[in-house]
Amino acid sequence: MGYEIVKLESVCYSYPRNKDHVLYNINLSVKKGEFIVIIGENGSGKTTLCKCLNGIIPHSERGRFRGRVLIDSMDTRSAYLSEIAKKVGIVLEDPESQLFTTTVFNEVAFGPENLNLPVEEIKATVKWVLEAVGLKGLENRSPATLSGGQKQRLALASVLAMKPAVMVLDEPTSQLDPLGTEEFFSIIEELKGRFGMTIIMATHKTDEVLPLADRICVLHRGRILACDKPEIVFSTVDLLEKIKIPVPTCFSLSNYLKDKGGLNINSFATPEEAEEEIRVLLNHQEKY
Amino acid sequence: MREIIKIDSISYSYPEGVQALKDVSLSVNEGEFLGIIGQNGAGKSTLLKCIVGLLKPQKGRILLKGEDLDDFPVSRVALKVGFVLQNPDLQLFSMTVRDEIAFGLSNMGFEREQMETRIKEALEMVGLSGREEEYPLTLSRGERARVVIASVIAMNPDIMILDEPTSGQDYSGSIQIMEIADKLCRDGRTILVVSHNMSLIAEYCRRVVVFRSGKIFLDGSVGEVFSRPDELIKTGIKPPQITRLGNALRDVLPSAETILRVEQLGDLIIEKVNRRR
Amino acid sequence: MALPTSYIPRDSIIHKLDPRIKLVIIVCITLLVFITTKFLPIGILFFSLLVLWKISGIPLKRILSYLRVLVFLFLLLIIMQAVFYPGEKVLLEPLIPEAVPLVGGKGNITLEGVLFGLLLCLRVLTLMCIFPVLLATTTLEKITLAMVKLGLPYRVAFTATTAINQLPVLQSEAGVIMDAQKLRGFMVFETGRFLSKIKALHVLVVPLVMGSMRRASMMGIAMDSRAFGAFKKRTFVDEINIERRDRIALAVFSLFTGVILFFSF
Repeated sequence: MGYEIVKLESVCYSYPRNKDHVLYNINLSVKKGEFIVIIGENGSGKTTLCKCLNGIIPHSERGRFRGRVLIDSMDTRSAYLSEIAKKVGIVLEDPESQLFTTTVFNEVAFGPENLNLPVEEIKATVKWVLEAVGLKGLENRSPATLSGGQKQRLALASVLAMKPAVMVLDEPTSQLDPLGTEEFFSIIEELKGRFGMTIIMATHKTDEVLPLADRICVLHRGRILACDKPEIVFSTVDLLEKIKIPVPTCFSLSNYLKDKGGLNINSFATPEEAEEEIRVLLNHQEKY
Repeated sequence: MREIIKIDSISYSYPEGVQALKDVSLSVNEGEFLGIIGQNGAGKSTLLKCIVGLLKPQKGRILLKGEDLDDFPVSRVALKVGFVLQNPDLQLFSMTVRDEIAFGLSNMGFEREQMETRIKEALEMVGLSGREEEYPLTLSRGERARVVIASVIAMNPDIMILDEPTSGQDYSGSIQIMEIADKLCRDGRTILVVSHNMSLIAEYCRRVVVFRSGKIFLDGSVGEVFSRPDELIKTGIKPPQITRLGNALRDVLPSAETILRVEQLGDLIIEKVNRRR
Repeated sequence: MALPTSYIPRDSIIHKLDPRIKLVIIVCITLLVFITTKFLPIGILFFSLLVLWKISGIPLKRILSYLRVLVFLFLLLIIMQAVFYPGEKVLLEPLIPEAVPLVGGKGNITLEGVLFGLLLCLRVLTLMCIFPVLLATTTLEKITLAMVKLGLPYRVAFTATTAINQLPVLQSEAGVIMDAQKLRGFMVFETGRFLSKIKALHVLVVPLVMGSMRRASMMGIAMDSRAFGAFKKRTFVDEINIERRDRIALAVFSLFTGVILFFSF
């Protein structure tokens, strides 16, 4: 893993006409190629944090902003939004409101067009981006006629076309059905594996993203309560229960076996790990 | 048990020609808690819309409590069937929570004084007691959803239909909504829930209907349906993770019933380990 | 539901025409509809538009849905014209008896009146058939580009076409909201009278406006993250060029205009 690509230094934010902090003293540094999952209740500040990462705060939304956000050592306060957009892409929850052109091709080309890039380069970019998200061959379709999952992958593609180094995803699958969710996550996995992209994702679907996550960041009332490897974060069950965050299925099983059964086992994050660990445990017992 | 919804081989095609329901029959008894699952476009929402009369099936008929509601306008059917839409923000328009809930009641012809008790009871049911004067749009997402549910509860329907009520909700918000539905069910109402969240379906529903390209593909108790992962996968659905794990460990951990909860599988393992010791 | 504003991907000759030519032709046809006051030229215009619809791939059935929306307006137009248009051939005796002072004996329904009413209806219908041809055969991006090439600033052109693009979204959302309120036992949309429908409009408008505002702010974020307005100059991947077929189309259209004008006067 590489250098520090995102760095938040004591970031505080509150909305206009409201004294309460939506974000309070956020310190977070993300290395290039890392996959960070942000979890927290609705209203805990996840979306606000995402907006800070790509400069929407403080550029487009008024409010009191303190601290610094550095992207690739560029301060978001002094950089133009379009400069930040080349480094940080963001995909939002609602696929519909992120699409505003009449063909899939034009949708993806929209960002590079704004950057005033040569036509040939844009066409090449659109081609590989659509391939990467599995929408090849749909260039002339109208975005409105796509399924929800396809729409969200198109939104991802049109941000990818800006060739950002960091991808911020704010609950990208909350409006998708199970198949759409799975397809979306498999593309994210590819972005991480094949392109080494730095990914910061806010989501409630912890079971699904767990195998991908390097670190889990727990946000509660605008503060970061924990930010560490999944097995460490999810072993602090008391904390999570208090702030009403569900422990992912597999961790919750391994925690249960440890606490209730007094078994001495390793924590497991994925069903595959769980199956292996449990088989070992039962076989081990059989030998006696 | 009395049959409360009877769907008799209905078919529905949209004007553009897509056939969304193909000869679907379904019977729901009073007091059931029924989960409806399937991919988007499999026909779930179309079925719900047919039940409340927003869409008229081209073939077949639907009886609610033995009555054919074909000739009633939707606003009449609404008195028997409460329908909670996926996006609460598409129906909130009042300046206060009280007015929002009173809207349905005034449509039913209630007088102002009679409404108060109903409003109070409905808010109590959804855990928003004493919030009558607040402005709905400043509430949190979970609270807005519960205001909408309260506005339906106040109308005292026999059947409650919830169309993806937990979409966009966080964990505790989802649990709260499902708990309300559960409470309503224990009060004797019939609940129909469409959801993509298989853990919640496994936790709360007793019976599950699986849709696949306009037809009912599977229909049975939660345990029955989720113990057939090979068939479910054809519909793009996976059982909850814990059920899948339980299914995968069948050979070493035989169990009569389908695993639906973490504790269930945990206890099985602990028991086996302890027995061997 | 297919909307009158949606693009239909196809490879027809009209799709290939330069959008600037299409814009010019459409403005001219609109003017022609306003100029002509006779059945024959309007009939020719209407029929030609239907031919264009067919070529563009717009289902002709859609005319029926227009008629369904407009039927009340049309009835009103015909009745008004029938009663008030001065004419010779009386079809029906005065509606108001002679005995009534002042207005007595007025209100003859004349053949000329009915015909004039029908003509008005045909003109309205013809007007409504014009824009779908452009929108069905031209992506909004090409229309934007055409407007930019015709001298409009990009921001203005983008705003105009995006507004058109949002109409179907608004329409479908309005449908869902009306369903939602019906489901709460609200009868006015289904059985109410015109006036009570107007009074009940806030039930629809408040959620619709709130939803649009939320969507607009989301769309703003999405546009920012794609560097909207980053530079003065911007690339357009679409190309529009005036070619031979555009010149031919323009020539054919000029001839057509001549024919219409000839029959109009």
